[in-house]
Amino acid sequence: MPLKLLLQLSQRNLFRHRRRNIMLLLAICVAVAGVTVMNSLIRGFQYDMQEAAVANLTGHVKILAPGYLDDPNIEKSFALAHDWQPDLPADQLEGWAARIRIPAVIMSERETRGIQFVGIDPAQEHISFIGNATYTGERLASAADRRVVIGKELARQLETAVGRRLVLITQGLDGLNREAGFRIAGTYDAEGTGLEKQFVFTGITALQAMLDADVVTEVSIKFASHPKEFSIKQVFVEFFTGLDVLDWQELEPQAAAMFVFADAAVFIWFLIMMGALIFGLVNTLVTAVMERVQEFGMLRAVGMRPGAVIAQVVLESTLIMAVGIAIGLLLGWGFYLWLQDGIDLSQWAEGVELAGMRSLLVPRLLVEDMVLVAGLSLVFGILAALYPAWRAVKIKPLEALRR
Amino acid sequence: MSDVVVRCSGVTRTYQDNAVPVVALQGVDFVVKRGEFVSLAGPSGSGKTTLLNLIGGLDRPDSGTVEVDGVTLNDLSESELSDLRLHQMGFVFQSYNLIPVLSAQENVEFIMQLQGVAADERRERASSLLKDLGLASMAGRRPGELSGGQQQRAAVARAIVTNPVLLLADEPSANLDSGTTQELLELLRTLNERQGVTIITATHDPMVMGYSKRQVNLRDGEIVEDNSSRAA
Ligand SMILES: Nc1ncnc2c1ncn2[C@@H]1O[C@H](COP(=O)(O)OP(=O)(O)O)[C@@H](O)[C@H]1O
Ligand SMILES: [Mg+2]
Repeated sequence: MPLKLLLQLSQRNLFRHRRRNIMLLLAICVAVAGVTVMNSLIRGFQYDMQEAAVANLTGHVKILAPGYLDDPNIEKSFALAHDWQPDLPADQLEGWAARIRIPAVIMSERETRGIQFVGIDPAQEHISFIGNATYTGERLASAADRRVVIGKELARQLETAVGRRLVLITQGLDGLNREAGFRIAGTYDAEGTGLEKQFVFTGITALQAMLDADVVTEVSIKFASHPKEFSIKQVFVEFFTGLDVLDWQELEPQAAAMFVFADAAVFIWFLIMMGALIFGLVNTLVTAVMERVQEFGMLRAVGMRPGAVIAQVVLESTLIMAVGIAIGLLLGWGFYLWLQDGIDLSQWAEGVELAGMRSLLVPRLLVEDMVLVAGLSLVFGILAALYPAWRAVKIKPLEALRR
Repeated sequence: MSDVVVRCSGVTRTYQDNAVPVVALQGVDFVVKRGEFVSLAGPSGSGKTTLLNLIGGLDRPDSGTVEVDGVTLNDLSESELSDLRLHQMGFVFQSYNLIPVLSAQENVEFIMQLQGVAADERRERASSLLKDLGLASMAGRRPGELSGGQQQRAAVARAIVTNPVLLLADEPSANLDSGTTQELLELLRTLNERQGVTIITATHDPMVMGYSKRQVNLRDGEIVEDNSSRAA
């Protein structure tokens, strides 16, 4: 049975019942476009959340002393050779940052708060949120900068301001409390207030001097490529024997779970849309078969094989699906372009923050998602055709001709 | 090559109509030689269509055997029967012979396409046959744009373009007026006489019977009269 003939028959039969098939086509287009737009929003949310988690001083991989996660303090620290560099090709590495991060108490003239005190080299922090935040006042100038930067929200709570002094108390390596005064270089504005309340930064060598310890508590590493693909973690596991090497999923389990859930959500959404569509598709195909009982009977009578009858019904379904998918993807892509500047969610800022996102949802259209939607829709088109095709094959030429 | 194209021996066929057995054929012996033009006659319900369908391999007898061109149809599988219909038989049904979405020309080419005949040859054979049947100007029209007579002539063209061993026509004139019926019958007669096509029609139209060389009368599933055996 020549495919060309089958294609011609399918195409003409689709055209013959234009109105019905245009309705079906529209439904397919809307479903595919809807899935595409929804996917791009889910992906936007997913990547935003992941980036926020990684930027939250986490990085894709972090090296910690054993036990630090359970009880973060300066005793769970390690020394880093001054000329140490991650052993990775430059194009795979976005950056790395060595830090001291310890719990501390911060005091202004009026208020006292518990915070995370973080010693950083500002030159290394382009990989984290603090390198990209907006400041009132000044940033830290260098690793030796003896001033602090604090979050805007913390400044408000402490009722202090740029240029004023704060006292920080934390534990040294010897177990004794150290106390020192710091001048506020600037206040930073992070997305949401969670980070602003939590982190206070100073130069890493300044903090090492305060603690009398030439150590770090963490090295955070950010890769250039998509984190799904890394097995690079292993490089560090081998290099840092005796230390914990954790990836962002282990460090931010909640965000990681959301990331996986978003992957699943893409499928679930697709199944719901296609599930609804498939009833319409099966129904239309069955109608198309039943009104051609005599034609199919005649075709069988003159010697068309059952396989060719099946092929014809499946081809009709596949053809209309393929056209619907193509138009639907284009539509979805158009919507995506229209939404590309992002959707402002700041009205719902609190809920959004709870979900670990920023207030601007920027859709992301992944080629692999589009390929997946196209491929699975075609498979659905073929599956939907199986029952109608079976009905068509069951038509006995004799009975069809007796009508 | 044997002279006998169709040989039915002791053929019976009983249908179950709501669990009530309806005997359509009972013990029919029937032989058709190459080049014959036979009409199966008899009142409605006498078993004409049933016999034609058995000969065409569209149905199987309950007992007895049907041979076409030396092949016993009883032994063939469904797909072998399907191939036999495609390659050896030409069918003209009472109605619904043509595919509505194909033009007359494409309908005539259709069976050749199923057979795998090359495109050039298909086109050539279909065009010249349509021309012979006076349908040259209608070649591009779809069945819906043809008159009943034109449709049946296109159906005959579709059925004979592959040079089948046997042309089977069930009530070919049922939907035609007498003028068009006559044209169709002239066409069948010409095909039979000039090209030696073996034709079996089932009909209760006296006009069709008049054109055939041999008339076989059926009644209640039995052959009650056969004017060739009478002549023999
Ligand atoms: N598929 C069927 N189911 C039940 N009865 C049938 C069927 N086909 C034919 N018959 C019966 O068999 C008998 C012969 O029918 P048929 O061969 O169509 O006669 P004809 O073509 O001479 O009118 C009739 O009584 C008819 O009702
Ligand atoms: Mg009949």
